[in-house]
Amino acid sequence: MQNKFLLLLVFITSLTFSQDKEVTKDTTVVFKKRVLESTEVDFMVSYYKQDGVHSSVSGGMGSEKLTNLASNIIVAMPLNEDDVLTVDMGLSAYTSASSSNINPYNKSGASGGGGDDDKNKLLDGGGGIVAPTGTPWQASSGASAQDVLASAVINYSHSSDSRNFIWNADVAFSNEYDYTSIGFGGGIAKLFNEKNSEISFKINAYLDQWRPIYPTELHEYGIYGAGFQTSGFFSGITVLDQSGVASTAYLPSKFSLWNSTARNSYSASVGFSQVLTKKSQISFFFDILKQEGMLSTPYHRIYFADKANYYIGTASDIPNYESPNNLGVYRLADDIERLPNSRFKFPIGMRWNYYISERLILRTYYRYYTDNWDITAHTASVELPIKITDKFTVFPIYRYYSQTQSKYFAPFEKHLSTEQYYTSDYDLSTFNANQYGFGVSYTDLFTATKIWKFGLKNIDFRFNHYDRSDGLNSNIGTIGFKFVVQ
Amino acid sequence: MTQKIILLLIVLLGLQSCKTVKEYEMQKINDTEMKLTAKTPERYETTFQVYREAAAGANGGKSGGGCGCN
Repeated sequence: MQNKFLLLLVFITSLTFSQDKEVTKDTTVVFKKRVLESTEVDFMVSYYKQDGVHSSVSGGMGSEKLTNLASNIIVAMPLNEDDVLTVDMGLSAYTSASSSNINPYNKSGASGGGGDDDKNKLLDGGGGIVAPTGTPWQASSGASAQDVLASAVINYSHSSDSRNFIWNADVAFSNEYDYTSIGFGGGIAKLFNEKNSEISFKINAYLDQWRPIYPTELHEYGIYGAGFQTSGFFSGITVLDQSGVASTAYLPSKFSLWNSTARNSYSASVGFSQVLTKKSQISFFFDILKQEGMLSTPYHRIYFADKANYYIGTASDIPNYESPNNLGVYRLADDIERLPNSRFKFPIGMRWNYYISERLILRTYYRYYTDNWDITAHTASVELPIKITDKFTVFPIYRYYSQTQSKYFAPFEKHLSTEQYYTSDYDLSTFNANQYGFGVSYTDLFTATKIWKFGLKNIDFRFNHYDRSDGLNSNIGTIGFKFVVQ
Repeated sequence: MTQKIILLLIVLLGLQSCKTVKEYEMQKINDTEMKLTAKTPERYETTFQVYREAAAGANGGKSGGGCGCN
């Protein structure tokens, strides 16, 4: 009996010991906080509208009207306690007066290399060709007036048990009618000093490919050569000189089709952030970006000051060509923009946030930028989130930006044909810009509002107006919803 | 340029001397509005800024890919 009792005691003790071990093991698991507790879904929609008078498709002059509707869905899934997989898919659809004028001369054309409806002409009732017209001040109805960009990014991240070391890797893909981009990258982040300090390092590469489309007149010259005025689109079309007299002297001899279509971008980023006090923290970013390949845009027209002018359209509109009153004539290009095959960019930025009170926080950002195309730029922005209630925050936004022009930039008809590189893209000109707006944020940590299995955690709305000193202005509104899967 | 980098390193090293804030004292630092990154919906503004301005990068966002030509 005593032996049986001892045996039972040993058995129970061993069970207890083993259970203790299990408890210890379980306790370890329980207290390892997951990096992401449950799947989160972000759904965002943005509407952007702009107008301006310096269309780069028309050589630095003309309508820049553009609208863009974009949406993204981002799903972040915890794979286990340490790993998170994030999938970000987006669609962005635009309509643009500027890009519609890649082919401004008829109502159906696009100057796509293969699909080539440049040959489509308007015919009158008797089968004769209706003389085409165009203007840089209005959109044509060509196929290039609109496009859709589809994109996807997949990111995988892993956090160490201490949560003081994180690595991630990502792949990206985007595609539109004339451009495809494939990207990949990765990064590491190390937290130290009791999570008061963080240093991070990130690298990315994007291997992009153009399927170039050219302005109609240059596209035809590229295909048919010196005899292009009797072939393709130009067959039967009258070209006018500066006096409005029919001429066959137009010859864009500097133009040639691209023999390479790749554009690659590489970036390395270093970041450092530091908690300064219980109420403030700061971070610094330093990037080195290199781009190589076809950095020009194949449908940005150039008009040389030392070349004669030729037009298609209504002769009486030629004297008013640069006026928005010109609704009937379009000038034939001398070439497309030519830019070097490499560019180095050096931006350095910092953020500083300060917790003023329970109701008020200050968010600031500054960036200095320089590159080897002689552009320098300063960016400063400030946001002031004001917590109206526990759930609602409103925040005014202001951003200032200024840049000096690239050494390759000159306005409409100021470049000379003897130059090696040239662009009339006003995005590379000297200007400053003011952006001001506001945002409203709703946050419910307890996700009381539910749609099926999705608890609504957050709604963000932002609206901004943007004014550029060269006359371009735009508005952008964005709304985003964050759901937690329950 | 070298002098600027050295100055930046000195500033960064100087920041290390700040008094460490303990994890239980980070309630204000951990406020969602205190994050040292751009907010997620801000990405669309960053995208149009990258298209309409020459400068890019150093904002923690995407710094390449796509033509940005419209």
